[in-house]
Order: sequence, then structure tokens, then C-alpha cells
Amino acid sequence: MILSFAQWVQSSAFFTELRLSWFVYPAVMSLHLLGIALFGGLILLTDMRLLGLAMRTHSVTDVVNQLRMPKRIGLILVATCGILMLGSKAEEYYFNIFFRIKVLLLALVFVHGWVFRRSVYYNTVEIDRAPRIPAQAKLAAFLSLLLWVSIACAGRGIGYIEPPLDKIHAIERFLDSNANNHG
Amino acid sequence: MLLAISNPLNESELSFPVLECIHIIGFALSIGTIALVDFRLLGIGMRRQPAAQLLKDTSTWTLVGIVIMLFSGLLLFSSDPDMYYLNWAFLIKMACLLLAIVFNYTIHRRVARSNPSPPHAKLVASVSLALWGAVIFGGIFIAFVNEGLT
Repeated sequence: MILSFAQWVQSSAFFTELRLSWFVYPAVMSLHLLGIALFGGLILLTDMRLLGLAMRTHSVTDVVNQLRMPKRIGLILVATCGILMLGSKAEEYYFNIFFRIKVLLLALVFVHGWVFRRSVYYNTVEIDRAPRIPAQAKLAAFLSLLLWVSIACAGRGIGYIEPPLDKIHAIERFLDSNANNHG
Repeated sequence: MLLAISNPLNESELSFPVLECIHIIGFALSIGTIALVDFRLLGIGMRRQPAAQLLKDTSTWTLVGIVIMLFSGLLLFSSDPDMYYLNWAFLIKMACLLLAIVFNYTIHRRVARSNPSPPHAKLVASVSLALWGAVIFGGIFIAFVNEGLT
């Protein structure tokens, strides 16, 4: 059922145009990477602050609170571009092992945020008051780094998997339906 | 004279994608830390800290990121130099990269240190973000333009 949904999404006029355009598709991909550079960098900085490796002249509260909104906006940009790329090649992505790994890792990011929400990300005043950064906060930062770096690597891996041509029929079906419409 | 030894990087199918991942992490670190200062100059993000302080706190990590990015980039380039040399997206990327690095360590640094007035600060931050954005667009388009310069 997911597969037929993927085929339907991919064969829509919007995603077909996107896939076939020589410059819109790479432009979306570039924006995806630009978003990763800008806001992935902010994630790295936040995590390194929690680990005590960077921005030590600023309190954890300052770093976490002030970067929360830019990171959310960044995530929306990166996710929007990601969904556009996914939609235009949905059928291939369905079979792509790195895409499946990436979805799983993204789900883990939400679990991570939920697990450490109260003890770390909305508990920064306590963390600043402690003589040393608590182990829980360092664990959260380490896992966040691990997850996001893995997500970036899995994303790059998607492009290296050859689509299983014997299983992919969407394009022919799209051409057929076009021929029928005009015929 | 042709080199008698082939590039050992080309012997493994894994080396290119692994280098690409390192390249991405390198530029997320360098461009991300530069963007933190740029966002401050634009009045976004860490507004309670002066730009000069943010620049001071991030400059080491920016440099670490740039070194990772350049080193992995050189190795990626070495996998197929002729292709890159004839690829117009790559040439534009290199021009923008040179401009971006020079701009970062001259005007950008001087302005961020001086805690400038908003119009001046916003202009410098916009130029910085635009140059780094152009570098990324150029990098992606390398894979999508096949015709060499004639």
C-alpha cells in the first residue's frame, strides 16, 4: 500500500515536473544542503556547548534558548526540501535501504528530544547552576551528535543505491496514462 | 609525462562517499559557525551576545571546519581532476570559495569585531551568507552539469 501511494505521489504532475527539470531538482538539493550547513552547524554548536567543548563563555541557557527558534526554522527548511526530493523519486526511495535507515534515525531524533526534554533542554538553568555539566546533559549531546551525523551520512548514501529497475514501473505507467489522455 | 601510479582512493568504491560525508560535516561546522555570527549581525539567534564575542568563541571551530572541508575536498577532487577542471559549476564554486574565505578573514572579521551599526552589519552578513550559499549550490550542480567548457 505504501508502495502504490509512493507511485501515485511520484506520478503527480507537480513531482513529475520537479523530477524532470534539470535545474529545479538540484536547486532543491542545494537548499537542503545549505539548510544542513546553517542549522546543522547550530546543532553541532549546541551539542558541543553541552559537552563543554565550545561557547564556554556563554551559559547553556543562553545557547539552548536563543538557538531554539533558528534551529526549528532550519529544520522546516531542510525537511521541506527533503520532502520535495522524496516526492519526486518516492518509488525509488521506497526500496532504498539508506532512506529506510534515515527515516528510522529521524524517528529516533524525536524520541531523543522527548526523552531529554525535561531533564536537559528545558532544564538549562539547573545545568548552569551545577558545578559541572551533568552526565545526563553530556549523554544527550553525544547521542544528538551521533544521530545527526548518521542522518547526514545516510542521506548521502541514498544517492549511491541503484534503483531495482525490475520493480519500478511508475514512469511507464505515467507515460501510458499520458498517451491515453491525449489519444 | 603520465603518472604511473593510479590514485589509491579510486581503488575502493567506499572512499568517495565516505569523503563526501566528512566534507558535509566539515562545511556544516565551518559554515554553521560563520552563520551564527552572520545571524547575530542580522539580529537573529544569539542577540544577547555581542558579535565580537561570538566571533571569538567560534573562530577555532570555524578554522577546524574549513581545514576538514578543504582537505576532504582536495581528496574528492583528486578522484577525477580532469572532469572537475572542465566542469563550469566546479569553476564557479572555486571562485566563490576563494572569495568567501578571503571575505571571511578580512572584511567579515573586521566588521564583526567592531560591533558595527545595523545597516553595515546586515550588508556584510548578507554578502557572507550569499557567498557560502553560492559555494554549496556550485558543489551540488557539479553532479548535474555534464557538458564541459568548450
